[in-house]
Order: sequence, then C-alpha cells, then structure tokens
Amino acid sequence: MAITSIKNLKEFSTNNDRFEGAHLLCPGCAHSMIVRELMNCTDDNLVIASNTGCLEVSTAVYPYTSWDTSWIHIGFENAATAASCAESMYKARKNKGTLKDPDAPVKFVAFGGDGSTYDIGFQWLSGAMERGHDFTYICLDNENYANTGGQRSSATPVGANTSTAQAGSHSYGKKQKKKDMVAIMAAHGAPYVAQLAPNKWKSMAKGFQKALETEGPCFINTVSACTTEWKFDPKDTINVTDLATDTLMFPIYEIIDGHELNILYRPKNILKVEDYLGAQGRYRHLFKPENKHVIERIQKDIDEKWEFLQRREEARI
Amino acid sequence: MSITGSVPGTDKRGLRELGAEEKVGWDEVTQGVTLNSFVGDAADIVHKKAEERNYNDFNSYTATVASWRIIKPVYNRDICIDCQNCWVWCPDTSIISRDKQMLGIDYDHCKGCGVCVEVCPTNPKSLLMFGEAEENDKALSAWPEKKKKEK
Repeated sequence: MAITSIKNLKEFSTNNDRFEGAHLLCPGCAHSMIVRELMNCTDDNLVIASNTGCLEVSTAVYPYTSWDTSWIHIGFENAATAASCAESMYKARKNKGTLKDPDAPVKFVAFGGDGSTYDIGFQWLSGAMERGHDFTYICLDNENYANTGGQRSSATPVGANTSTAQAGSHSYGKKQKKKDMVAIMAAHGAPYVAQLAPNKWKSMAKGFQKALETEGPCFINTVSACTTEWKFDPKDTINVTDLATDTLMFPIYEIIDGHELNILYRPKNILKVEDYLGAQGRYRHLFKPENKHVIERIQKDIDEKWEFLQRREEARI
Repeated sequence: MSITGSVPGTDKRGLRELGAEEKVGWDEVTQGVTLNSFVGDAADIVHKKAEERNYNDFNSYTATVASWRIIKPVYNRDICIDCQNCWVWCPDTSIISRDKQMLGIDYDHCKGCGVCVEVCPTNPKSLLMFGEAEENDKALSAWPEKKKKEK
C-alpha cells in the first residue's frame, strides 16, 4: 500500500501532480481541486472512469488529455459500471495470471457530477454498490447540470434559481428538498461513505485515503462550488466553500459500515445561513421580503439535519 | 481546431502542429483509439517530477490556456512562507512547488482565477493580482507595505 504522507501541507506538496493543467474547466472551478487532491493522496496506479459532465468534457478535448493515469469516459450514467467492470476484469486476469505486473497496486475510481450521480446514473451506481466491487465513487456535487446551462438536478437545494426552476414573480426557485445521497449510499451498507469539502483539505485527503484503502464500494460526496452557476467571483471558490461548511449547509461527516457516523468538522462559530446565501447570485431573490419564509425554512432544515447528525454520532448505532 | 491562442515565448507549448499525415479531424478518429499521455513507458510516472517526464503531444501539459487570462498573479518570494496553501487549492496545477518550496507560477496553465491570492495567509500577501500587461518587475516594486491590525 503506497499512501502518501498528509501530515502537513508541506509534505503533501512534495507529490508530483498527475492531473495536468490547461484543461478547460472554468477559472476557479472546484472540480479540479478535488481531482488533484485525490490523485495526490496516493502513489498507486489509478484507473479512473468519468461520467459525462463538466469534468469529462473539459479534461479530454481532442487532441488533448489532462490525465496522467488510465482514464475511461463513458455515458452519462455509467462511470460506476465502467469502474466496476474494470475492477472485475482486473481480478479475473489476476486469477488467470495474465497481468503484466500482478503486484502493482491498482485503485479504481469513478467520478461523476451531481446530475449523473443523483439523477441519471443513480440506478447504475446503486447496482455497483450492491454488487460490492472494490472501487471508490466520488460525486462532484455542484448542485446543478452546470455543463448544459445550469438546469435543476435533484441535488439543487431549496430556493436556488436555476434555468429550469427560475425565480420570478410566481416562484422562488426550486421548491423541493435536496436528495440525501449520503444517507442513501450508507443504507446500501457501503463500508465507507462520506461528505467532504475541498476547503478542509486534510479531512478530504484523509477521507480519500480511507476510501481507497477500504475494500469494497465507497461513496464520497464532495462539495464543488460552481462559479458560473452559483454566480460568484472565481476567486471566491474557497471562501464560498468555507461559508458552506461553517453555516452547516454542507456538514462534513463520514459513515462507516452504514451505521457508525463521525462528524469530521465542527465549526467554532456556526454562521447563519444568510451569509452563505448572500455570497451567491443564485439566491439573490431570497432576500426580497416576500421570500423571507424560504430562508427560514432553509435554516430550519439545516438545524434539524445538524441535530440529527449529532444524535446519530452519539448513538453509535 | 484552435483551442489555444499564440503566446509569445512559449515555443515549447501551445498547439503543436501534428504532422500532415497524422492530422485527423475529431470525427475521423477510429473508435477505440487511445491518446497516450506519455511517450514510452509510463509505469513509474507518479515518482517523476514534471520536468523528468516524457510528455506526449496529446498531454494537455504541452498546451496553454494563457490567452484566457486578463489578470495574472505575481509572486513575491521575499514574503512567502512556503505554506503551500496556493499549491493545494490551485485548480489549474499552476503553482510550481519542489521540495516543500514554492518556486513560482506556471503562466502557461494559469487562468487568472485569483484563488491563490485569496488563500495566501501572509501580510502583505505574497501573491497579488495585476493586469496581464503589467511587467512582473514593475509589479514587484509596487508591492504594498505590511498592514497593521485594526483594533
């Protein structure tokens, strides 16, 4: 097992990047921060499968590829399938003895956006989790279909203005709650499920290493702030993610074996959700007086969720 | 098929002209073809630094997105404490770090998002954004003084 040291940032920075620059993601996109961190936290060979989405279209624009590892692009829904099939084939060939270098450690990773994870690839992901392949699925959750113009997905939170759930005189944006994907994946009995954020780089790197080390299907939901569709300045990616974790809009926690819940980050000062909403253009309409009830609802949902997580952590069941 | 602009002084980078016989459109590529990131064996690539690797023309490391930029970060070595915050959060792999030291910025891959400046903890910041046309020496001479903490 070749896991690199993440004791501090200086040690972490001695790794050689395997995700190259000059990909065509937007300036300030959090996708590439997350992908870089995953590829830097291990020395093992990686086989990466990508769903269609921002990450895939921007990192493999003919004639260039930004990946220094084996990389498969497959349909909008199939990254989990591709990773699990590659893993099965690897095991079969290992058993037959037809591998060139059978002792080289290989890890299988699938990347999907929230559209392909929460909506379109949900069934395939569920199937791969149930079959128990040894792979890690990482969802880059930017809460909309950012690649196609910012349509709503089932990861879009209440009140967000998207191109298919528009805010206006008759609507305050999306009305439905965000799907709790982490809980659904934990309910599959997956050995390691987590929600992580790039601004807390250490807990994220630790989570990635744990997922890669764990045998069996692991799911990680990562918060990927989208400068284009969340409508904030590219330089503020980490600031907005900080607000997301400090307002508990995105609590950082892990669930081991489907029941043992650990909260990985407790903000010293829990901020009001208005700070997070006010930093983004997609929530601007919520600050009109007639939409006050929406902010109250979002805050209430966050408080309930935090209470639930804390009690789950205490109960250890 | 132009995804990059021509940037002076980057003769090693930019869209390299593939040989006439190799040049095929995206719709003429045979199914199942692979783009190799490296020339030759890529087995131990994880232990090789970027300058030791034998990049293929298909690797986006050989390309540039410098033409995207309207503002650029300028790095001041005198103030830097090598915390590597900019390295871990740079979305474009543009912070060059070797042996726990920050060396500078890869201006071929930097898109000028400004995340590195935001996460820089020093006072004054050791990275600041300047206009793309500004010369680095001039920017460094106009560096702000240390700000006193407001009480």
